Amino acid sequence: MSVAGLDFDDMIENAPCGYITLRADTRIEHVNRTFLAWTGHDADAMLGKRFSDFLTFPGRIYFETHIAPLLRMQGFFNEFAIDMLTAAGDPLQIIANANERRDPNGNALGIRIALIKATDRRRYETELLSAKDLAVTAEKATQEVLRLENETSRFREQFIAVLGHDLRNPLASISAGARILDRTVQSEQEHRVTAMLQSTVIRMSAMIDNVLDFARGRLGGGITLRRDTRKPLQPELEQVVDELRMGSPGREILADFAIDRPVDCDRTRVGQLLSNLLGNALTHGTSDQPIVVHAETHGGSFELWVANAGQPIPEAAMEKLFEPFFRSEARASRQGLGLGLYIASQIAKAHDGSLTVSSSPKETRFTFTMPSE
Amino acid sequence: MSGVIERNNVNVRGAGDRAIVFGHGFGCDQNMWRFVAPAFENDFETVTFDQVGAGGSDLAAYDKTKYRSLSGYADDLVEIGRELELEDAIFVGHSVSSMIGVLAAQKAPGMFGKLVLVGPSARYIDDDEYVGGFGAAQIEELLQFLESNHMGWSTQMAPAIMGNPDRPELGEELTNSFCRTDPEIAKAFARVTFTSDNRKDLDGVAVPTLILQCKEDIIASLEVGEFVHRNIPGSRMIVLDATGHCPNLSAPKEVVDAMRTFV
Repeated sequence: MSVAGLDFDDMIENAPCGYITLRADTRIEHVNRTFLAWTGHDADAMLGKRFSDFLTFPGRIYFETHIAPLLRMQGFFNEFAIDMLTAAGDPLQIIANANERRDPNGNALGIRIALIKATDRRRYETELLSAKDLAVTAEKATQEVLRLENETSRFREQFIAVLGHDLRNPLASISAGARILDRTVQSEQEHRVTAMLQSTVIRMSAMIDNVLDFARGRLGGGITLRRDTRKPLQPELEQVVDELRMGSPGREILADFAIDRPVDCDRTRVGQLLSNLLGNALTHGTSDQPIVVHAETHGGSFELWVANAGQPIPEAAMEKLFEPFFRSEARASRQGLGLGLYIASQIAKAHDGSLTVSSSPKETRFTFTMPSE
Repeated sequence: MSGVIERNNVNVRGAGDRAIVFGHGFGCDQNMWRFVAPAFENDFETVTFDQVGAGGSDLAAYDKTKYRSLSGYADDLVEIGRELELEDAIFVGHSVSSMIGVLAAQKAPGMFGKLVLVGPSARYIDDDEYVGGFGAAQIEELLQFLESNHMGWSTQMAPAIMGNPDRPELGEELTNSFCRTDPEIAKAFARVTFTSDNRKDLDGVAVPTLILQCKEDIIASLEVGEFVHRNIPGSRMIVLDATGHCPNLSAPKEVVDAMRTFV
């Protein structure tokens, strides 16, 4: 007897875990008191019975197909989960370790099993499993959303491309028709009509470009550049000025270009930027004063500005000028969608440049600056 | 796709004119035969393998559709036989593998000249007059239990250690690996095992067949074994003194002796 009043038999019988020993044929030889107390079984009712008689049905299958074979193969089996049956027939969740007692030839003499109640652990496992299931479900849902999103995005891209194509084609027909008419018509008034047609085509075409760029920018893709320094920028800008002159016969546009080195830019885009600024100046500038276009390279920069006379831009409007769909109160009927300055500023940004505005009673000037190399 | 030999982790040992192929059942892997197969190595070529999904098999080869029926497993066995050019071999199937052997013997006449069925059952679920030993509800309970409790039943295999079953220094890591399998595959294999019905396939067995029946087996009872015996024409049945479902592990000598009277 030890000081604490505990001996080893007491330890075995009243240990804080269950102990069961089996014969080699898996019939029960001993059961400790702890296990009997947990389950409410009588020792007499258990001794000599098969261990699997005290397991739930799945537990029996598990014992025969996993536990018993593993004990023979490796001599032990640790941490197996199994449900045992109480005297009342309720399942008791157990985690157990077992090992074999063997003779020198490796034959089984008996099996020792230590059992621990695992009700809480089983609950954690169940929670863990349902958390895993939830995660899997959530992941599937995310993947589905992503797939739909990709599909929608592809559809949008296609839609934008088709829309651009379908809108430009009829416009090209109108433009060609107006040119043919212009060659044959005689009177001043008739020429004014064909010129107006051309002007409308140009404005319309710029609007389509802007809408498509806006859609691309907002719905993925952004403004893409095709930079190319092999061809000069100036003819592109001159062509834009000519087109707008042609479309607005009554208006004077003074152009002054001093581009003496290649500019690393997307010429079409810079042309579009100029077209948008000029369109803006034609809309808002005083019609009896010339619009001035100036472009030059100096130092490492390229600068392009468009100036017009007329009412200065109100202070309140200055902040919102470059936002999409911004339109000033005045003369709304002559304006487009309010995308011209927004797209121009996006083109400037794409070139690592800037688009700024200054406005006074004397003139309103939009200035685009970008590094030329 | 891997070769058949890699796919099923096929191991060929021993020397002899005739081959004995050992198939394992639900639960563990070819190690189930570790006390039996070596006894035949002097007189026979012995072949052990893992069913796809078990032991050292190629888990990537697991095909949900193919392995939904025992026929898929039987096809694998026939492929192994073709790969090894087996003729008139002996197939020894434990538990569910006994029915896999019954199917394979009919799929490839001539490949297997004799069958040894250890603890066979043609159907586990009772059906009218037929006694399989289990109610449909019990089997459902088992499958449910597997569904909700696979952490306790099986954990993911550690493939790195699977190739070295003979190196005792890896014993620590090898713990339980003989019976480890992917939880999803374990569930599917349990389903196909315990819900299969091969009663109609028995009378097509045209080769000498020996049934080894444990006198006390809760998975395949004496009654179930006798049904197989009655329905395979000309079969022999030996009732072993062994108890439990795995006499190949619990009473290997008895199994070997009984087999010797037949092979």
